[in-house]
Amino acid sequence: MGEVLQYFVTGLSLGGIYALVALGFYVMWEATRAANFSHGDVYMFGAVLTVVLYGSGFPLLLAAALSVAACALGGALIERVLIRPFNREPNAIGWMLTTIAVGIVLESGTTIAYGTLGRPLPTALARQPLRFGGAGIYPQELLLPLAAVAAMVALEMFYRRTILGRAMRAVAFNPTVAGLMGINVRRIAAIAYAMAAAVAAVAGILIAPVVEATPSMGTLIGLKAFGVAIVAGISNARGVVAVGIAYGILEKFIEGYISTGARNAVGFTVMILMLLAFPQGLFGRKEVAKV
Amino acid sequence: MNWDSSFPARRGLVALAMAALALATVAKPALAQKAEPCIAGSWELSGPLAHTGLAIRMGLEVAVDEINESGGVLGKKLRVIAYDDQGEPARAVDNTRRIGEKDNCIIMIGGARTPNALAIRPVLSEIGLPWMGVISAGTRVVEWETGTNEWMFRTSMKDRWVAPFLIEYALKRSKSGKIGMMYEATGWGQGAVPDVEAAAKARKIRLVGKETFNLADQDMSAQLIRLRDSGADALIFYSVDREANAVLKSMDRIGYKPVIVSAWGITGQLGQTAGPLAEGVLVAGTFAWTGDLSPRATKVWERIKTKFKLSTPGDLLLPSATANSYDAGYIIAEALKIAGDYDRTKLRDAFFKVRYEGIIAKYDPAFEKSMERHDAIIPSHYKMLTYHKGLLMTLEQTPYALKK
Repeated sequence: MGEVLQYFVTGLSLGGIYALVALGFYVMWEATRAANFSHGDVYMFGAVLTVVLYGSGFPLLLAAALSVAACALGGALIERVLIRPFNREPNAIGWMLTTIAVGIVLESGTTIAYGTLGRPLPTALARQPLRFGGAGIYPQELLLPLAAVAAMVALEMFYRRTILGRAMRAVAFNPTVAGLMGINVRRIAAIAYAMAAAVAAVAGILIAPVVEATPSMGTLIGLKAFGVAIVAGISNARGVVAVGIAYGILEKFIEGYISTGARNAVGFTVMILMLLAFPQGLFGRKEVAKV
Repeated sequence: MNWDSSFPARRGLVALAMAALALATVAKPALAQKAEPCIAGSWELSGPLAHTGLAIRMGLEVAVDEINESGGVLGKKLRVIAYDDQGEPARAVDNTRRIGEKDNCIIMIGGARTPNALAIRPVLSEIGLPWMGVISAGTRVVEWETGTNEWMFRTSMKDRWVAPFLIEYALKRSKSGKIGMMYEATGWGQGAVPDVEAAAKARKIRLVGKETFNLADQDMSAQLIRLRDSGADALIFYSVDREANAVLKSMDRIGYKPVIVSAWGITGQLGQTAGPLAEGVLVAGTFAWTGDLSPRATKVWERIKTKFKLSTPGDLLLPSATANSYDAGYIIAEALKIAGDYDRTKLRDAFFKVRYEGIIAKYDPAFEKSMERHDAIIPSHYKMLTYHKGLLMTLEQTPYALKK
C-alpha cells in the first residue's frame, strides 16, 4: 500500500510540472494557433536564473519574481521576433524551426554562462519530507500540483472576467474579426506568450529546490508537456491540467510496476493510442468551419 | 581547365607528385618518432562533463610548470595543449590525429569518457602515439581484447579492480550482508554490472537487487522501494552527481537509509547540492586534497589554488582526477629522462623502467609489460573517500571511519 501511495504522490508532483508547462502551450495556442517549442527551455531558464540571482545575494522571493519577469519578457520577445514574422500565412510552419532553434541557443548559452553542473536552491519546504502511510514527499513538491490548479483557475477567471482575457478569447476565436473590432491582436499575442513563459518559469522555480537546476533540465519536460497538451485537446485548460497530472502519475506507476526503462516508451505509446482513439484530444472540441 | 593526361610534361608532373606523396607517406612514421616536447589532451572542455577537462588541466599544468621551473626535460620545456572533444568519440579520434600527426606531440592525455578512449585505440596504434589515461576507468582501455596493447597506459582507477574494492567496503558496512546495486543506464553503469556481480560472487554473495535509472531522472522512489523491500542495507552505486542527488532525495522521501558505496562518478559537487544527505556516502578514489596533506601535496594545492583562482579544496570537484593528472605529468617526465630522447617508442619502453614517488603513491615500478599492469595505480593505492560537512575527504579523516 505504501508503494502505491508513493507512486501516486511523486506522480502528482511530476504531473504538476507537466500541467504547468502544458498550460503555457494552451495559452500560446489559444492566442496564435502556434506555440514556442522552446517552452521547456523557458522552464529551465526560470529555475537557473533564480538560482543565479539567489546565489548573487538576492532574497529568494525577489530572485524568483525577477526570474519570472525576465522569462515573461523573453516570452513576449520570442513571440515578436520568432513567431510573428513566421506565422503570417495560413498553415505557416516556419515558427516551429525558429523556436526549436532558439531553444538550442538558450540551452547552449546557459551551459556556457552557468556551467553544466547543478547548483542548490535551498528552501525550508525541501528540507524535511512529509511521511504518511509508508510514503513520503517534500512539501515543496506538493506546491506543483497546487500551482497547476491555481494557474488553471486563474486563467479561466482571467479569460472570463477581464477585458484583456475576453479580448484574448476573441483573438483565439477569430483574429481577423477581433482586429476589426478594435482589439490589438499583436499585443494580445505578445501578452499571451509572456503569460505562458511566466507560468513555465514558476514551474521551474518550484522544482529547483528538489532537483538541481541544470541547462538540460527542460528539453524532455517541454516535449512531454507538449504531448500532454495535444492529448488533452490543447484548447481546454482543465483538460490540460488533468491530463498533465494523470500522465505524471502514469509514469510513476510504469516505473514502479514495469521498469524505469519502459517509462518513456510506454508513456509515449499511451499518448499515441489516446490520439488514435481521440483525434481531437480527450477534452478537445471538433472545430467546425462554415463553408 | 582542360586536363590532358596524354601530355608528356603533365604525365611527368603527375608521376613526380605521386612519388613525392609516396615518399611522404613512407617517411611520416619515421619523422613522427622525433616528437615535440608537448603533452596534448583530448578532453571535455565544454558540454556536460566540462569540469572533468578542467580537473585534468589543473593537475597536469601545475606538474608541467614545476618541471619547467626545474629546467624542463632533456633541456626542453614541456608544453600542454588541450583540445575539446565535447565527449564525442568522433572528435576524440580527430583530436588524436591532430595531436599525433600535426602537432607531433610526444604523448597524449585522455579525458573522462571510456568510449572515447576505446574509439582512439586503432589510431594510437597506427600513429604510434603513447597515451596516458587519467580518468576513464574502463577495463578495456588498457586490457585490449586482442591481447596486445602497446600504447595505452593509465594513472587512474580500473573498473575491474574498483568493483571488488566497493564490494569489500559494502560488506564491511552492511549489517545484514544483503547488498544491492543501483546504476545509471549508460555504457559505464551497465558495463559495471558484470564486474560487480563477479566481485560479489568471489566473496560468495549474490546481489539481492539491481536497479537502474536514466540520466535526468528526478525521482527514483520506485527502484529504491524495490531495493528496500529486498532487504539491501548497502548499495553499490554507479552514478554522476545530478542523478546521485535525486537518488539521495528519493531515499529521504521514503525513509530508506542504506550505506552507499559509490564508484567515482560522483564528485565534490554532490556535497554542495545534496548537503546533509551526502554525509557519509562512500566514494572510491585515489586522492583527497583535504585534511593532513604531505608538504609536497600542500605545495601543489597552493599552486593549483593560485593558478586556477580557487578558494578551498572543495572547489576541486574531481580531487582524484587532479591528483592522477599531476602524477601522470611527472611519470611522463621521468620516462622521458630514461628514454633520453623525444622519441615516442623510446618513451613507451621507458615507462616500464620508471620508479617514482608521486603524491598518490610510490610507483615501483609505474608500469609492467603485462596489459593488466599498464595501470600505474593499483588497488592497494585506492582510497575510500566520503562526504563530511560538504567536502570529499578520506574516510579516516571523518567520523565515518570504522573503529578498529
